[in-house]
Amino acid sequence: MTSTAPLPALQTETGRPPRDWVLIGLWISLFVVAVIWIAPFVFIVFTSLKSTTQVMTTSAFSPPVDPQFGNYASAWARGRFETTFVNSAVIAAIKVPLGLFISAMAAYALAKIPMRFGRLTLVLILFGTMIPFQVMLAPIFTLVNGFGLIDTYPGVILPYLAFGIPYQVFILHGFFRSIPHELSEAARIDGASHFVTFRRVFLPVSLPVLAALFILDFVATWNEFAMALVLLQDREMWTLPLGLSAFQGQFSRDYGQLNAAIVMTVLPATIVYLIFQRYFVSGLTSGAVKG
Amino acid sequence: MASRAIWSDTRVQAALLLGPALVIYVVFAVFPMLDVIWLSFFKWNGLDPVKVYVGSANYVDVFTKDPVFWVAFRNTVIWTALSVAIPPMIGLALALGLNQPIFGRNTLRAVYYLPVIIAPIAVATMWRWMYDPFFGLFGQILTSLGLQSWVMDWLGDRDIALYSAFGAYVWQSVGFSMVLFLAGLQGVNKSLVEAARIDGAGRWAIFRYVTLPALRTTLTIVLVLAIISSLKAFDIVYGLTGGGPAQSTQMLALWAFTQSMQIFDFGRGSAISVVLLGVTLAIVIPYMRWTQKREEASE
Repeated sequence: MTSTAPLPALQTETGRPPRDWVLIGLWISLFVVAVIWIAPFVFIVFTSLKSTTQVMTTSAFSPPVDPQFGNYASAWARGRFETTFVNSAVIAAIKVPLGLFISAMAAYALAKIPMRFGRLTLVLILFGTMIPFQVMLAPIFTLVNGFGLIDTYPGVILPYLAFGIPYQVFILHGFFRSIPHELSEAARIDGASHFVTFRRVFLPVSLPVLAALFILDFVATWNEFAMALVLLQDREMWTLPLGLSAFQGQFSRDYGQLNAAIVMTVLPATIVYLIFQRYFVSGLTSGAVKG
Repeated sequence: MASRAIWSDTRVQAALLLGPALVIYVVFAVFPMLDVIWLSFFKWNGLDPVKVYVGSANYVDVFTKDPVFWVAFRNTVIWTALSVAIPPMIGLALALGLNQPIFGRNTLRAVYYLPVIIAPIAVATMWRWMYDPFFGLFGQILTSLGLQSWVMDWLGDRDIALYSAFGAYVWQSVGFSMVLFLAGLQGVNKSLVEAARIDGAGRWAIFRYVTLPALRTTLTIVLVLAIISSLKAFDIVYGLTGGGPAQSTQMLALWAFTQSMQIFDFGRGSAISVVLLGVTLAIVIPYMRWTQKREEASE
């Protein structure tokens, strides 16, 4: 192989193994692609700090000379971020823990309590991981409208729960089944009910999985758009993605403010991701690719 | 004492543990799916108390009198074919590269995955601005390279708008495939790779005869997930073009939404949904049977 041909001079000087030119080439190309991947973020942040005149006269990647932090304040007020931010936060704060809790209970029951139709129920729920809710926006609207819950928190939280349950049950069921039988049997022989076994034995050992699912679900809930579009029509009830979409419709020529609005919408999920990075990967892959 | 007996009954406990999730799932996810099939046989504006049964008229209308349906159908097929081919391929290439012991690979992984966690509607807003023909990123880069003539109205030209929108989708979805492939690569037997290398196999031979066969399961999962997530492409297209210009980027999911929620023809909208649902099930059901078999085989 030519790639590992030794380079005597370098080798004797440093005493290191020969340089692998294929790896170096690989690193350079990965680095270049990464720069391309990150460029949109740089462009958005730069634009968010420019005035409209600066946007029109300076180049895309020139840093803002006179940063217009006012863009953020104006976008916050005009985009009604105060309202949308609170709505998004309330919905996520209720939906995410509640959804995880009921999914965990169901996963425990399906994994550890022998039931007639247990298998069938599991298949029915797993089926939901594959069905796109985008297909049934209209009937979801009709259903929620029938309950009189359009433009309310429960009206959007209940469908969110329903479409979050399948994936979480799928992952947690797989995890609970891998927990040795002895652990749950010991508790059961001591006379503990399934409720107690679930709470005292199973919830504590599944904390890492729950943490991963929590973060994935937080981001998914925070970002959800299509269902909110149908179920939340009153602008007092809008979530961040709806607010951003409306902002783009109304003020798309105020480049600086529009980009400030994008940054503010994207920032919370980005921060959560950067802090909890490793959980994303484990949450995604623990179920999908277990070999 | 009677109440204690009830609580200690295993069946009651099972019902209470399983109940909340199951009820919410059945009411808010399974029921709408059946309802959409039911509604597709009626003429209804979504609010009127009376629904008029029209048999298969909605389907006939959609198939024969709605030119946009076929545009949306064609676009959905193109979009799906592209999303099966392109993001997984780039994702695999990145995963193979980032599986090597190279400097800063965790940072690089984080960079590629970052767009995945951004709201698709925000991605649409970002890219709409980047595609701005006057001050957007692409226009500026091409101009600075002296290629002004290449600058196009990316989202306003009906011949290229669909592909411009797809560009944003690639940027967002590559990281997802990459992570799945990286996880799959952990399952490749290292001693087998080592043995092949000692036997004098080159990098390509190792990839072709050792790595790739070991990735077969992952590959299937990635491809099926790519198909399913492309069928539901909604946010990105809605945000970038809203289906325009002149319906040239219309997609099935978006067209079903438009018919029901904006034109208030729930019957037609539902008929379009049922078509999309049918296509999805044709892929999902064989896939689920395959995973079930795989699971039973591993037990």
